[in-house]
Amino acid sequence: MAKVSFRSVWKKYGDLAAVKDLNIECADGTFLSILGPSGCGKSSTMRMIAGLEHISAGDILFDDRRINDLAPKDRDVAMVFENYALYPHKSVFENMANPLKLRGQSADRIKERVMAAASLLEIGHLMNRRPQELSGGQKQRVAIGRAIVREPKLFLFDEPIAHLDAKLRAHMRGEIKHMQRTLGTTMIYVTHDQLEAMSMADMIAVMHDGELQQLGTPREVYNHPVNAWVAGFVGEPAMNFLTCDVRGERDDVLLTHPNFALALKPQQVQRLNGHAAGPVRMGVRPDALGISMQKLAEPVITGEIFVNELLGGDMIVDVQLADARIRVKTVPEFDGAPGEACYVTVNRDKWHAFDAETGRAFF
Amino acid sequence: MASREVVQYETPLTRAFRWFSVAFIIVYLMWTLLPILVMFVSSFKDLLEAFKIPAVGDWAGIGVFFEFTPTLKHYQDLFLNLNFSSYILNSLVAAGGSAVISVVLGSMAAYSLSRINFKGKNDLFFWIISTRMAPVVAVMVPLYSIFRSLELVGTLPGLILAYTTFNLPFAIWILKGFFDNVPYAIEEAQMVDGATRPQALLAILPLVAPGIGAFIVLCILFAWNDFLFAAIIGSGGAKTLPVATRELVQPQNIQWGSIMAAGVVTTVPMMLLGLVIRRYLVTGLTMGAVKE
Repeated sequence: MAKVSFRSVWKKYGDLAAVKDLNIECADGTFLSILGPSGCGKSSTMRMIAGLEHISAGDILFDDRRINDLAPKDRDVAMVFENYALYPHKSVFENMANPLKLRGQSADRIKERVMAAASLLEIGHLMNRRPQELSGGQKQRVAIGRAIVREPKLFLFDEPIAHLDAKLRAHMRGEIKHMQRTLGTTMIYVTHDQLEAMSMADMIAVMHDGELQQLGTPREVYNHPVNAWVAGFVGEPAMNFLTCDVRGERDDVLLTHPNFALALKPQQVQRLNGHAAGPVRMGVRPDALGISMQKLAEPVITGEIFVNELLGGDMIVDVQLADARIRVKTVPEFDGAPGEACYVTVNRDKWHAFDAETGRAFF
Repeated sequence: MASREVVQYETPLTRAFRWFSVAFIIVYLMWTLLPILVMFVSSFKDLLEAFKIPAVGDWAGIGVFFEFTPTLKHYQDLFLNLNFSSYILNSLVAAGGSAVISVVLGSMAAYSLSRINFKGKNDLFFWIISTRMAPVVAVMVPLYSIFRSLELVGTLPGLILAYTTFNLPFAIWILKGFFDNVPYAIEEAQMVDGATRPQALLAILPLVAPGIGAFIVLCILFAWNDFLFAAIIGSGGAKTLPVATRELVQPQNIQWGSIMAAGVVTTVPMMLLGLVIRRYLVTGLTMGAVKE
């Protein structure tokens, strides 16, 4: 088990920088998820930790030991690959025994460790099969099994459940999280699926274009995104963005939009920090909005229902405004029909304002 | 690579084509197999009987061809008087030696070309292939002169080296395709598991085994059947079966019986090899070609 630190780490492919000046501290025993879209540098980051890519600049430390120049085999990490990378000509047992065998462990010890890992993952009955005789979920368990047999300092999981079907993925999320808690080993888990990161990680590092956008707990990242990009990437359905103006009117500061005007709370005004007038981007999650067919007393956004999507326990309503379309999450009993006028309310504590140019969050 | 049932509907044209195909295959089989049959049967015949053949058009007299008392005297002659056992050994050593050397060096080169990116890689790869573009005869004279100054002419090491020169580019070319098809992640997994780079290479060798097997067979076939190199580079001390057989044709006396027996001795081992590794060879050669 180890603490992992990134000190100004860069990865360059020729002139192209895939990872830019990355600084992360990951405490011992933490489940850290590196989240970002494809091409954001998250896989390069993981491969630098594993030693499969050189570190162009900066240092990576395990505890306080610099590991930049160590070969993969000397780093004592275990990795689960996106495509599992099982050895096709070896049985499940041999696959899982491989790391121990390469480290010269005795046959008895190997058998004991492999069986222990197999029973944890419930794959004891598959020991003599070959990888091609396994289902996707089983292959994935074997790949995890190969990683956990030898109690490494650090687990590296590279989108391990991306290729499973949705139901199995949901199941494996819980299992992987539980396994990490049980073993207590530091875990770095790369994914492009914000739901995986949100549901499993202790800490999330959101990356975009090779740069770390935000490092925080899932709650922080969800409730207090540092910029519009993070706000838009995390959360499903995605956050609504509206281009608005801030305007002082008598004693109030108002957020104005062709469809509505919303008075800011004093602490929100304070957070705007002198940005007393001019354009801002308003961000509001679908679940911070309410919808009604009757005009209500509180300040509301008026719009027209564009389409309804019933998702079993929830309903998502797309509402057409003058210049944009927003999505509202509501109860499945909502009975508005497309084309009808509707009234959308905003939870005044749960919306965000972003700088119109830089995207930086005011609150 | 999965075969799929192709729905076909009979038309007069397809029916005619099917009959034509059958006829073509029959003619083709006769064309290719009859000489081998004649060689095989004649090698067990006394010379007088061997030349008893029915007249052209006399189909009833075809039985004459099979009326003979089998004799092994040509084979005895080959091995007791004509020293063919040492020629077989020469052929085996030359073919096997060059196959082993080519496959060892070739797989290392192919692995590097497949896995490592470096400047001029494509040019290097093309240069390796281009050595196979000129016919053997074109390089024979300079090669002979080089080999003679190195005192390699007429020696088995010389012959092995000559075959390796021609088999190695072929090995690199075929094996690179096989290595390209092995996902890099498997070696990466090995290295993270605790393997060194050479250990990782050894670990993926079983995955390219069909390719290596197929290549070894092609390599042995090339060397075993070769006449030109053997006649010029190997002449004298490293005489192989094709050359020894050729020498049975002398101006004053063509030893037909021995030639037939030598033909059988030369072809049968390769036929057996082909039968044994047939399935392996086909999967090996197609596996390299199909990228998943």
